[in-house]
Amino acid sequence: MSGFTEWAGRATHPESAAGKPEALSGIRVLEYCPGHFGGMVAASILGEFGADVVKVEPPGGDPLRRVAPEGVLVEGTGLPFLSEARNRRYVTLSAGHPEGRALLRRLAAASDVVVTSEAPDRLEENGAGYLSLRRERPDLVYLYLSAYGSFGPDAARPVLDSDILCQALSGGPFIVGEPETGESPPAPHQAPTRLGNWHGWFSQGLWGAFGVLAALRFREETGKGQVVDMAGAEAMMMFADYNITWMHTAGKARGRLGNYDPAVFPYTYIRCRDGYTFIAAYNDEAFESLMQIIGRPELARDPRFSNPAGRVRIENERALLAVLEEWSGKLSADEILAAVEEHTSKKSGPGAAVVTGRVNRPLETLSERNWQERGCFLRPAIPGYGELSLAAPPWKMSGTPPRWKSGCRPPGADNRDVYAGTLGMPEEEYVRLGALGAI
Amino acid sequence: MPCEGSFRDFAQKAFDPAEVASKPQALAGVRVLEVATRIFGPATADYLGLFGAEVIKVELPYRGDLMRYVAPEGFFWKEISPAFLPLNRNKLHVGLDLHPAEGKDLFLRLAEMSDVVVENLRAGTMDEWGVGYLQLRERNRGIVYAANSGFGQWGPCSEGRASYDATAQAVSGFSAITGFPDQPPMKAGFWVGDYTAALMSAIAILAALSARRRTGQGQLLDLSQAEAMIRALDWTWPFAGRTGKDRRRYGNVDPSYPPSGIYRCRDGFVAVSARDGGERACLARVLRTDGDGAPAAEAVAGFAGERTVAEVVRIAEAEGFSAAPVRGGREHYLDPHLRARGTVCSVEDPLYGRVDEYGPAPKLSESPGRVKWCAKPVGWHNERVFGELLGLSAEEMEHLARKKVIGKWADLPGARPPKEGIAG
Repeated sequence: MSGFTEWAGRATHPESAAGKPEALSGIRVLEYCPGHFGGMVAASILGEFGADVVKVEPPGGDPLRRVAPEGVLVEGTGLPFLSEARNRRYVTLSAGHPEGRALLRRLAAASDVVVTSEAPDRLEENGAGYLSLRRERPDLVYLYLSAYGSFGPDAARPVLDSDILCQALSGGPFIVGEPETGESPPAPHQAPTRLGNWHGWFSQGLWGAFGVLAALRFREETGKGQVVDMAGAEAMMMFADYNITWMHTAGKARGRLGNYDPAVFPYTYIRCRDGYTFIAAYNDEAFESLMQIIGRPELARDPRFSNPAGRVRIENERALLAVLEEWSGKLSADEILAAVEEHTSKKSGPGAAVVTGRVNRPLETLSERNWQERGCFLRPAIPGYGELSLAAPPWKMSGTPPRWKSGCRPPGADNRDVYAGTLGMPEEEYVRLGALGAI
Repeated sequence: MPCEGSFRDFAQKAFDPAEVASKPQALAGVRVLEVATRIFGPATADYLGLFGAEVIKVELPYRGDLMRYVAPEGFFWKEISPAFLPLNRNKLHVGLDLHPAEGKDLFLRLAEMSDVVVENLRAGTMDEWGVGYLQLRERNRGIVYAANSGFGQWGPCSEGRASYDATAQAVSGFSAITGFPDQPPMKAGFWVGDYTAALMSAIAILAALSARRRTGQGQLLDLSQAEAMIRALDWTWPFAGRTGKDRRRYGNVDPSYPPSGIYRCRDGFVAVSARDGGERACLARVLRTDGDGAPAAEAVAGFAGERTVAEVVRIAEAEGFSAAPVRGGREHYLDPHLRARGTVCSVEDPLYGRVDEYGPAPKLSESPGRVKWCAKPVGWHNERVFGELLGLSAEEMEHLARKKVIGKWADLPGARPPKEGIAG
């Protein structure tokens, strides 16, 4: 182990985070995104870096709490909400009530950042629209999340932003999944395929957080706030490789190729004795290494496979896959990793670029030593909700490390703390608003 | 009560793409050194560059970033790969070898003048070369150093285990939950394991720059691309923890909002979404399904299968549930909405002429992101960076070029300028 590795492990281990300063301390974020997971992600990310996040829920709680895949509920709250419910204070108010609306406005005006997925005209009616808030707070950063965005010909489309819509519009699923084979009707899986997690919503939240951080930097320089308009459709679009440049330069659109790739091969999953593993070796030198590893060095000179353009012809990809699986079918994923590392550890440069990794089921990922030792998973006991397995913030940082500080709490659990403590509301008003049903 | 649509009117004006070029940039004044190949590192720097950071991309002389040779179907356009272009906008390209002492010295001098370093070499490589975080902070205590890797800078896999996008897709558990239950796990057909992690790296860099404003101190940022994907798998982990079971592959129906999902129509595919009780009731009414629960996916499939995508979208919008077409690159390229938003944009590049690209996703009303120019051949900006920025004379540069410390492109497609010369 080198001095750097040792130093980095000591300086950035999540266990050393407590007590260190936080990057976004002093920034207050108001999250008003009922039913919207992308907004939760954006606020969580800012919260992990130390922002004070206040989540506003309608009385009875965010509808997202009741979303329960596989029917699993913990104290009435589903796992998607629980997975993202971190580092927040939870307040309730009724936007249908005049005093609730006034409170929403007070909260927004006391914040640096507003994250919302509510329709702009409704927010304006509720007193928390950007146009009226900016008069009071010209330095406010206002993140607005929607499927199509706040301007452009499709902006007025009446849709409720959701992961599946963001995914479909992004171009992602269009190039994920198996192509049709000409049989009629095609099999159900020969279709554009959604990414299994909420990657559309997740990307939307991440880009939203990025936009907010860029806007906060601009505010630090100029004192000015602004709107960050984040269309969920466009978030994963940024990840859709060279869709536009290929259309522009070659007039070609990408299609579905299953686990093949139009630009690189081998770069695919191969069957092995205990499941599937990833194998890549797409430059000539690495391909030669891989052919040595599988005991077929002569194939590196086979005219079908001897250059990158030949290897990405679909018929050659299929032929090579068969050759690779003839070898990998007898080995476990770990044995394949060992064989690859044995060979590449003696090489450097492009010839060492043979890469592999087991296609893990979630329980396999959870049990891997590397993630455990790096503090990648948490298992906190959350008051009222019990022990939960959660993904930790992924960044290891030496100066201002992000951290998980608290988990889910019931709706309104922090009402007194926020309304009396942060907003300075007198006790009798707090009691009165509660009795009115405004909070 | 404010007038109807006032925010939309404001937005139409505030985000006008025609005004973007004349507005300030959010990250103006931030200088980024990129020592990276392929996607994870270059995309991180690209995202910062889109919002105004000055990115100096350091490539090994002659062949440069190996991503230059990743070309869809082996196709190069004007000697450059269309897959390289979207990752390397707004950058200054220098060819600099960090192995010889003079190369290290030039790099350290650049680092003294920079705010951020982004690298995605195998863990510890920069340190071995004498230009890692510990050496750089001796010269510049404010440096924010993003070390992007597959498995992290420390821990059991940190000793040189290589990783690509699909390694992260595979080892994180992402692929195991993507695809259909009766089919093998599905690799996303785009490099989602790189881009997701690149965006997370860029986010942490901005957070670190914000902290630096108060403390004056930079820091080391260690991000594993697999850990970035693990963080994005929503309810996978609490489900495993509570039930002891693996989350399954559910195909095209979202198990959180059934029957929301992707469905085949007569002329393509549509996403149908019913996120709340109101939308589910509207969908049930249109499908004329009985009972209290959500309509079955089979009923939606039958409904969509008899109609065109446009019909399903029209019915959804009229009846109170949500739908949208499943779009690909061609639809994006031709979409007036995306053009009006600058999400698909044209850039007039002095070397390549008109190039169309995806523009930045988050739209900032006061300090918007933008594509200013395209990727360039290896070493294209050597004179600008080594000459104007570091103050090297023409003789010094010639001397370093002869010693192969600095250099330009190899005579290869992917690395060299277009044959027809400067675009007119």
